[in-house]
Amino acid sequence: MKKQALLATVALVALAGCTGKNAESTASSPSNPSSPAVSPKNEAEKVAKAESFTMVLRHINIRETAKPTLKLLEEVVKKTEQDVPGLKFTLDGVEDTVNRNVKLKAEMASGSQPPIFNLFGGADTQNYAKAGRLLALNDIMAEVGIKDSFFDLREFTVDGKIYGLPETGYIEGFFYNKKLFEETGIQVPKTWDDLMTAMEKLRAKGITPLAMGAGAGDAWVANMLVNSMFVALGGPELQDGFAKGTTKWTDPAVVETFKRIDDMKKKKYIDPNVLGLGFAEGQANFYTGKAAMLFDGSWAVNAIVGEKSTVKDSTGFFRFPDTGGKGDGYLNGGWSNGYGFSAALKDNEKKAVKTFIKNFYSLDNQKRTLVETNQIPAMKGVKDVQGANELIKSIGEQQGSAKGAYPAFDALVQPNVKITLETTIQELLGGQIKPEAAAERMQKTQESANAAGK
Amino acid sequence: MIKIYRNFTAYFIFVIPALLLYITFYLTPLFNSLHYSVTSWNGINEPVFNGFDNFAKALTDEKFWVAFKNNLYFVAFSVFVQIPLIIVISIMVSSVKRFLGFYKLTVFLPSILSTASVAIIWKFIFAPEAGLLNQLLKGIGLESWTHIWLGDKSVAFLAVLVTNAWQWTGFYIVLVLAGIFAIPKEIMEAGEIDGAVGWRKAWSLTIPLIRPVIGVTLLLSVTGAMKALDTVLIMTKGGPFGSTELMATYMYKQAYSLSDFGYANAISIVITIFTALLSLFLTFFNNKSKEVSY
Repeated sequence: MKKQALLATVALVALAGCTGKNAESTASSPSNPSSPAVSPKNEAEKVAKAESFTMVLRHINIRETAKPTLKLLEEVVKKTEQDVPGLKFTLDGVEDTVNRNVKLKAEMASGSQPPIFNLFGGADTQNYAKAGRLLALNDIMAEVGIKDSFFDLREFTVDGKIYGLPETGYIEGFFYNKKLFEETGIQVPKTWDDLMTAMEKLRAKGITPLAMGAGAGDAWVANMLVNSMFVALGGPELQDGFAKGTTKWTDPAVVETFKRIDDMKKKKYIDPNVLGLGFAEGQANFYTGKAAMLFDGSWAVNAIVGEKSTVKDSTGFFRFPDTGGKGDGYLNGGWSNGYGFSAALKDNEKKAVKTFIKNFYSLDNQKRTLVETNQIPAMKGVKDVQGANELIKSIGEQQGSAKGAYPAFDALVQPNVKITLETTIQELLGGQIKPEAAAERMQKTQESANAAGK
Repeated sequence: MIKIYRNFTAYFIFVIPALLLYITFYLTPLFNSLHYSVTSWNGINEPVFNGFDNFAKALTDEKFWVAFKNNLYFVAFSVFVQIPLIIVISIMVSSVKRFLGFYKLTVFLPSILSTASVAIIWKFIFAPEAGLLNQLLKGIGLESWTHIWLGDKSVAFLAVLVTNAWQWTGFYIVLVLAGIFAIPKEIMEAGEIDGAVGWRKAWSLTIPLIRPVIGVTLLLSVTGAMKALDTVLIMTKGGPFGSTELMATYMYKQAYSLSDFGYANAISIVITIFTALLSLFLTFFNNKSKEVSY
């Protein structure tokens, strides 16, 4: 009896081993088409299999305000499925910071990234490209005929190769409530002093001058303003120099910025609840008409003209006002968010990717992006934008009249510096640290990050 | 049957599945973590061995020690506030004659919700303007008591503790209640005849008799406090100014915001060691106190 039991176990183990092996070989063979062991019969089977395959497409259009963007994507997906026989996409919507910081990162570490995914330019793209996870797109772009179609692919280019394509662009600036401005009798501020006077008048009337939600993990919201301010005062070369060591966080422009933020909070120009609110809550205070201004990126337009908004038709946009500093006239903007593609693609998947790129990155879609989803195009040559929202048009005008654009500071400094600025700015808003001490701490962090990098 | 007990092969066969599971899901991750804790690794490229640098970094990292202290506060809150409360409520509920099921259900209800929902519900309660708590305080004329609960250093941690307590108290109450109901009726009746009624009965009879259950509750809530992460991550992300940072959230930040997976793994090892030490201490303490036998 004992022997029997043992035999049975051996048989079981052997069986398990077999199935395991089988599963492995079927799983690995399609991804390895050049393998010499593949017999012609298997080859034939593969062709039959290629007729139907599914691909995951990771996107971040899950918010209520991203519905038009999702609709556009879904149409492209449908068309691509028709163009590539047998292809079926699985749309995988993930919240953007979760995708960027957790999910995609983990997948990239293990090499299990989806074939098509939302990708940020800058450090993300560089890391993944260096690890060999991203598909270089130069050939595909030439083949599809969009080699020179984009405004700027700087953030997606590593060693001359392009690893991602931006979907839209962005610029940052002040949105303002025209009605509240009129009622208070203020003009669109041209200079920093104008802005301060306007804020004072608004506050005196009991209106929150500047909406902002920078609590918990959303300190980046405040840092958009900080970033624009220190560049306005110190010029774009200031932030270019942090990681190189040619400029310092203790330079007068940064210290002055911290002082002004501190001052604005003390004078209650910034929402007093700033540290108790998240990004979306801060935004909501603007588009429900509770606050007069909002410093945000052009991605906020969707929320501002959305269903819940009460300021749909009465919102304007102006650039960061002149400060008398070196960076006057420049604005924070770029093309840093779009799609990337896995380097580990089978032949049929590569074909699908090519078709997707052809269908997605068209001038027609870019025009629709502007008119329907209220975002700045990433490709050149969008004309005749009838039906575009007034607000996005005025954002376009502000963009056009600027001297130039510079990227967000976090594309230029180490992650640790970015995180430290986030906690530091929260402390500043909470009155926990003096502006000078904040600048010194930032410089210390920058120096140790620079030293570690060298 | 007895023959099988002595059969080594049989032992072997029956132990293997459990052992395999244990190795796959407990030992392998632990050793992986140990391995990465002595490297500098950004999560994508090849890890580089750097000895004990990460642990040395933890020792001198002020923010880590703030997080560590917060974990200790968390433990202290569990032991000195939550558990006494649990015992008091349990004893009260146990003496209820009618609708016992109803009370059990209502206290247990929060425990069946996922932490994410609980944290979001309480985030709404603590919201600065529209939040229930501030509205309530304003409503009863205590406007000066209102706070930006989750954005104010002086109260944010308390807010998190209350949320966590609200979720788990019910679970422990049901545990302690089971202990109370397991006490033989005769003992309680004998005690009553001897004059032990009300709080005196609770103090000299019930509590000593449910000591083993209290021990388990203590162990569970202390280890729970050591590894707490989700509530904080959703409600405050460690803010404002690091005042609600816990070791686990700090580890999460190092890994996913800063891509310093080597350091994050080192922190996870430190958490494991501290938690193991604490539970060892508690178990030792529990065994020292007299066994209860009816």
